Amino acid sequence: MKLLIKILAIDKEEIILKSIKRALNSNDKEDYLITTCDTALEGLKLIRSDAFDLILLDMFLPGISGNELLRRIRNTYPEIPIIIMSGYSPKGIYEYEKRISLSDSLNSATGYLLKPFTTEEIRSKIHGVLKSSLDS
Amino acid sequence: MKLFEKLKYISLSSRVSILLGIIILITMGVFTIFSLFKQEDASIDSICDNSKQLSLTTERILRFSMLKNRRDELSMAVNNIVGKEGIIAVRILNHKGLIKFSSHPWEINKHISQTSPEGTETSQLCESCHKNKDNKLEFDIKNFDRYRIIKEDNLIYNCQPIYNAPSCYTEACHSTYEDSVNKDIKYLKTKLTNLQGHDSSQTILGFIEIEISTKRVNANLEKTRTQLILFTIIFALIASIITYFSIKHLIGKPIKNLVDGTKRVAEGNFKHEIPPGKAELKLLSESFNKMQKQLLTTQNQLIESEKLASIGKLAEEIANEINNPLTGIIIHSESLIEESNLDGSNKNDYEIIRHEALKIRESIRNILTFAGGNKPDLKISVIDDIINHAITVVKKFSNFQNIKIISEIPRMLPNAFIDPALLEQVFLNLLLISSEFMPAGGILNIAASFFDDKNEIEIVFSDTGKGIPENILQKIFNPVNSSDLENFEKTELSLAVCKEIIEMNKGILSITSNESGTSVTIILRA
Repeated sequence: MKLLIKILAIDKEEIILKSIKRALNSNDKEDYLITTCDTALEGLKLIRSDAFDLILLDMFLPGISGNELLRRIRNTYPEIPIIIMSGYSPKGIYEYEKRISLSDSLNSATGYLLKPFTTEEIRSKIHGVLKSSLDS
Repeated sequence: MKLFEKLKYISLSSRVSILLGIIILITMGVFTIFSLFKQEDASIDSICDNSKQLSLTTERILRFSMLKNRRDELSMAVNNIVGKEGIIAVRILNHKGLIKFSSHPWEINKHISQTSPEGTETSQLCESCHKNKDNKLEFDIKNFDRYRIIKEDNLIYNCQPIYNAPSCYTEACHSTYEDSVNKDIKYLKTKLTNLQGHDSSQTILGFIEIEISTKRVNANLEKTRTQLILFTIIFALIASIITYFSIKHLIGKPIKNLVDGTKRVAEGNFKHEIPPGKAELKLLSESFNKMQKQLLTTQNQLIESEKLASIGKLAEEIANEINNPLTGIIIHSESLIEESNLDGSNKNDYEIIRHEALKIRESIRNILTFAGGNKPDLKISVIDDIINHAITVVKKFSNFQNIKIISEIPRMLPNAFIDPALLEQVFLNLLLISSEFMPAGGILNIAASFFDDKNEIEIVFSDTGKGIPENILQKIFNPVNSSDLENFEKTELSLAVCKEIIEMNKGILSITSNESGTSVTIILRA
């Protein structure tokens, strides 16, 4: 029996949301129920109304930024796994890693997914994050 | 003080020439005053010496006339002397200071104090010859002061003693009878005519006083003084003018060139060289030109790095724009590959799309790693701190739950000249890569050692993972083909990027791998 995993993907780019759906829907192991939205406010509303197993969050969102949204979600739902999606930047990665090491782990993301990603990368990242959150 | 304040605003050549003029005026002025004093003293000494000779001669000449009491002869002789060489008067006094004869007839039978300048005390006058010994005025022949110098009145009095001689008290002197036969008769006659002879016990019978005016000498001295002062002023003026023009030409011009050059540099013009000067100024101009060239080089480098930084920023923005559609291309091509199992030709096309899209992704990542902004900021850094920090960071990741990290870093590991931020990035990624190779857990060993002879620090990251096959290992540092390595590298930074960063830090990164694990060795300069 396949597991039903509810994922919320928040990104301002429609193509990213479409790609996430496409990459995760053709999976044999897990069944993903993917909800998408393109703003942080909408994302917050959805999180309050539904219980998600994982959130895929873009760093650069209009209005409330990804970082701010991450902080707000963490305040209410400290256990929910969150994967940050962002474009490649050596400095960005370094600063992200620093933040993980310096701040409370509750206020940081669970994983980091670099754009552009492959089907294998997103699946494996989600799998890894979910596995570790289940283990813990 | 105000003058000195004003001096600050005038040119260097003017300042130096004014200063030189003042110095010349002061030094030559002091010299002039000193020499004039000396000259005055020397003139007075000379007058005194001359008057002494004159008085001695006069005494000898007049002695005979005095013996014979020939006043006409005396008058003639004295009148011949008076008026020459500044001589005002000649007087013959007896030992009591009474004037017995004078070139000024009205002074005869007056006391010497009456003819002296006003204010001259009689006692002073007497004591100049008669020293007061035991309240008794005695004539001191050895120490008597021959000269009386009265500077205020421009007068010198030379006092020549008329010593008693046998002829003065034994010979039939003071007689007007030359043809006398009998000495006794003559003596008696002398007594009878009231013409006294002198007592043999007397040492000094009287004095011949010569009064000399120093007015002419003083006038000459005054003239010399004026000439010297004028000469000093003219000399100082000429020296100042010569100095002014010399400094203006030798120093002022090169300094002006330098100032102009500095202004141009301040305006951002580094290309104008200043003409070479001479001696020290040559060194100065050379240094200035050298500095200008270095500034130009630095400016160019700065412009270059700013350009690179803006290119980097632009590349990052473009990359972010490309990232989203590229994700779409990769994911959708992969979905098509999965769905088109039956149609071989289509699948091949989709594979090509995916492969090329992954190549673009790799290119963008490489561009972003090295395009501007990511230049290493090399500084002396503590290696073990960076490694320990990286370990602390990764321990929080879920991948490391079943991995045991063993750190063997010696306490006395020397510092390295590296960019600590970039190095930490590399260490973090090497740890993350290792964890990817040990999904079921294992041991990650970090060992560091220092080689004194080579001055190198060696850091080895070794894991007990599944290892990298030989064919993949050969391609691992070639970013263009790294899409082939995706099954082995799912981490954010590729090993190729790690290698590039280590090389940017003047280090070496090498990798060995077999079925029982992988070792990455980093060598850094201590």
